[in-house]
Amino acid sequence: MLKKAFVSMALLMMVTFLMTTPGLAQKVRGVTDTEVLIGQTGPQTGPAALWGAVARGTGLYFKGINDEGGIHGRKVKYFLRDDGYQPAKTRAIATEFVEQMGIFGVVGCVGVGPGMAVRDYYTENKVLMVSFGCSGVTNWINPFNRYIFATYPLYVDEARGLTRYLFEQMKLTKVAVFYQNDDYGKQGLEGVEHYEKEKGLKLVASVSAEVTERDLSSHALKLKSSGAEAVVMWAMPTHAALLLAECAKIGYKPQWATSSTLSDSPVMMQITKGLWTGMILSYPIEPPDSNNPLMVKYRAWHQKYEPNERWGTFYYSGCVYAEPFVEGLKRAGRNLTPETFIKAMETLKDWRGGIGGPFTFTSTDHQGAKYVRYAQVQPDSTVKILTDWVRITK
Amino acid sequence: MLGQLIVSGLAVGACYSLLALAMVIIYKTSDVLNFAQGEMAMISTYVAFTLMESHHVPFQWAVILTFLFAILLGASFEFVFLRQAKEPTVLGLIIITLGFEMILMGFAGWKWGPDQRSLDFPVSNIETYNLFGLVMSKINFWTIVISLVLMFILFLFFRYTKVGVAMRATQQNQLAARVMGIRTKWILSFTWAISSMVGAVAGMLIAALGVLDPTMMMDPLLKSFASAVLGGMTSLPGTAVGGAMLGIIENLFGGYVSLAFKSVVAFAVIVLMLCIKPSGLLAKHYVKKV
Amino acid sequence: MDIKRSYYEDIELFKSNTILVWSILFLVFLGILPWLVKAYHLLGMSIYILNLITINALVAIGLNILVGYTGQISMGHAGFFAIGAFTTVIFIVNWSFPLYIALPIAGFISSAFGFILGLPALRLKGPYLAIATLGFGMSITTIIKHMEFFGGRMGLQAPKLYLFGTPMKDIHYYYVIMIIAVLMVIGALKLIKTRVGRAFIAIRDSDIAAEAMGVNLTYYKTLSFAVSAFYTGIAGGLYALILGFINPEGFTMIMSIAFLAMVVVGGLGSIMGSIAGAALLTYLDIKLQVVQDIPAIGPALVAFSQKYMSMAGISNIAVIVYGLIMILIVLFEPLGIFGFWIRTKRYWKTWPF
Repeated sequence: MLKKAFVSMALLMMVTFLMTTPGLAQKVRGVTDTEVLIGQTGPQTGPAALWGAVARGTGLYFKGINDEGGIHGRKVKYFLRDDGYQPAKTRAIATEFVEQMGIFGVVGCVGVGPGMAVRDYYTENKVLMVSFGCSGVTNWINPFNRYIFATYPLYVDEARGLTRYLFEQMKLTKVAVFYQNDDYGKQGLEGVEHYEKEKGLKLVASVSAEVTERDLSSHALKLKSSGAEAVVMWAMPTHAALLLAECAKIGYKPQWATSSTLSDSPVMMQITKGLWTGMILSYPIEPPDSNNPLMVKYRAWHQKYEPNERWGTFYYSGCVYAEPFVEGLKRAGRNLTPETFIKAMETLKDWRGGIGGPFTFTSTDHQGAKYVRYAQVQPDSTVKILTDWVRITK
Repeated sequence: MLGQLIVSGLAVGACYSLLALAMVIIYKTSDVLNFAQGEMAMISTYVAFTLMESHHVPFQWAVILTFLFAILLGASFEFVFLRQAKEPTVLGLIIITLGFEMILMGFAGWKWGPDQRSLDFPVSNIETYNLFGLVMSKINFWTIVISLVLMFILFLFFRYTKVGVAMRATQQNQLAARVMGIRTKWILSFTWAISSMVGAVAGMLIAALGVLDPTMMMDPLLKSFASAVLGGMTSLPGTAVGGAMLGIIENLFGGYVSLAFKSVVAFAVIVLMLCIKPSGLLAKHYVKKV
Repeated sequence: MDIKRSYYEDIELFKSNTILVWSILFLVFLGILPWLVKAYHLLGMSIYILNLITINALVAIGLNILVGYTGQISMGHAGFFAIGAFTTVIFIVNWSFPLYIALPIAGFISSAFGFILGLPALRLKGPYLAIATLGFGMSITTIIKHMEFFGGRMGLQAPKLYLFGTPMKDIHYYYVIMIIAVLMVIGALKLIKTRVGRAFIAIRDSDIAAEAMGVNLTYYKTLSFAVSAFYTGIAGGLYALILGFINPEGFTMIMSIAFLAMVVVGGLGSIMGSIAGAALLTYLDIKLQVVQDIPAIGPALVAFSQKYMSMAGISNIAVIVYGLIMILIVLFEPLGIFGFWIRTKRYWKTWPF
């Protein structure tokens, strides 16, 4: 009886094997005559949900593009999935994207931790990763990967540039760093250290906090006792607000400077109760009230499709991350494959067709964003752009 | 710097001890470790925020309405979920509170979104009181006062009122308490209501100190667990002692030893403490009889 | 048939030929499952999700040995999981150990930590133990973060492994993981029936009575922690491999809670229940995220969100549902999925009575 069971099972297995080798048609995954399929992962829940606005902003941009008729007769079919900033989930979504939906590329997914977990998988499957990670962590673009197009300035360069600005334009030499204890924060620290080393200066203090920490009083005291004239802050909004309040309390008022991730000044102004005034920001995109024609158009889209969303920097920066992708689709033409797309993207030279800085991709360098502007926060929580686009990458 | 570190430690310890107070009230009566405490406080704080921000209710009324909401929330959680548990185990009860925590967190994220908000509080977190060169923000000072006053009131309440005594009886032996004519179910709901209200106070103060967002209570909750354990899970004055000790130890450690490991030191302290005196500083050691 | 006449009958794995046949059929099914999944995407599954479920099941079994059989609480198993993951990667990358050596080493290092955590647990009960273990889980990731040796805050890239010269993909990992999992499940089933397992159960039911009967509490409690940590450590190593990248932020308190929920939902004191619990909760965790796309309910939820809630947070419905499932299972089926299974079985056995 056992033998019979085995034999029948073996037969069943054979049948299944035969069934499961369907002949795949030779065509490009995710591209049809009328559609191109795009995926995106972004945390909509959990502690990192704040950055989920970026993903929804990309959704808005594609809606607008589709209404204008799409690209070369193809509409963008766009899937947004929530990964809760957990790499294991991101990876599960990635398999769904590739094996079940069959996407052409992913755009503007949030988070480097989740990104690192899917980089190899996407590369194996020739999925294009444009603006993936939405972040400027160096690990992400090293080693060079043809399928990755990064459109966010590297945090290291950004922090270096910021320190240079403080030193050259504002003549502040005693600089301290406050950073949050993860890849993002540490890259900020590295950047400042680079510049200090170049100029033969010494970093006065570097103070770190765990992401979950909610009491920063001893951090503030440490910064104050270091006597720094300027503090470069590489942190999350909550920490920024807590730290500013603690410092104000003990009467410590250095010049603050921070990265583009804290560029949402109306929110920052509200949660810091006005202490955000005077903050120096490196600003890689247009400010929210800019009169740039594209910004005007995007604001109109916002009013039309998602009027309930708040028009914050994170939200519309979702557009910035998708712009180069759409430009690549345009340049690749009707015959769209991963190869033609990469070729087309590599023709972008100082491209200013979006609301971000000039993007350049070459066949050996896919880190496209190398420019920022510097801005200062005004008391009415608008930002004043102080400089023109400054190259921060050497 | 030493003095300032201690003062700041006291201030943050007061927040811990307020939340710990809410936790101890429940643990004292029903032996439940309430992991949803933080999120219950967070939701109440959001209610206060919405009342003031969207409906322009004056602060005093908003606080009173929030208290009502918190009381309702706590009592209904006990009534809807905990009371339905058949033969609950310690673990089962923990899982129920964890599940409730997730529901509340999800609800807050759904209703108010992930953006950080700021709660308008009449007491500033930037203006300070100065004494001998030590500074303390006004809200820190009031947090300490409120936590001490609340602890004292609750202490008296547990010790001298009829309901308080009934609560203690319920904890010691539910069946016997019921035989004695105590409506133990009612008492349990009442406990949850009070605890939820104390939590709401803590939530509002913590939000006013920093920012209001759906994840704001994660860290304070863990620290308040630690302070409750430090002081003894069944002792009300223990929460104040535990909270203050924890705040000061943390700050001194951060100031003089290592800022990087500051967030871990709380747990090292409680593990050490528990190995030396398992019942905590101020609680009596209670041995289970067979 | 249900009466056991000797000890050996009790510890026998296959109590009858029927069970043997079904077990073999089940193994064969596990063997061909990836092909089925690949071809038909049943329920939107993928091989990666199968791997994740199996790994979570291993953790749940380990945790169940501690929680369900020995009656201790641990809210810090993400810590052991992290230790397993980091040890495996470091042993393979830095000291080029092969996987089949690195993985057991990871398991043993993790179980050494389990032993250490077991020591204070000797004196702690209930909530105190919950908080102490919670602290352990949080501390481990913080310590890993601060040591550059572990890749610091940047995390570690897991090595690419090769099987007969070809790089391993999800499907290859599936078989590796499944073989390990089957062995470990059998190990757990056996362990519970031995002297050790019975000592665990005696401690759970009443530690004082157990001690009076001659069960060495110190030995068995720490052993339970060590065994549990061993399972979790092995699972952690496998997790690092299928994910390809680990960073300390990935091992949160939420993860520990999820493990605990799997055990409780599956059924305390049931190995098969743990597997079911892990499968159910892992699957829900991944698949519950696109509530908007559910037919019929989706648009209603969107409309409701727009009117009363916020669209930005609509994904949070998944979190709410997850929490609700946890509560409802504890409330209405205290033995979890296992209890449900027993009731169904009994219902059919006694049908039509």
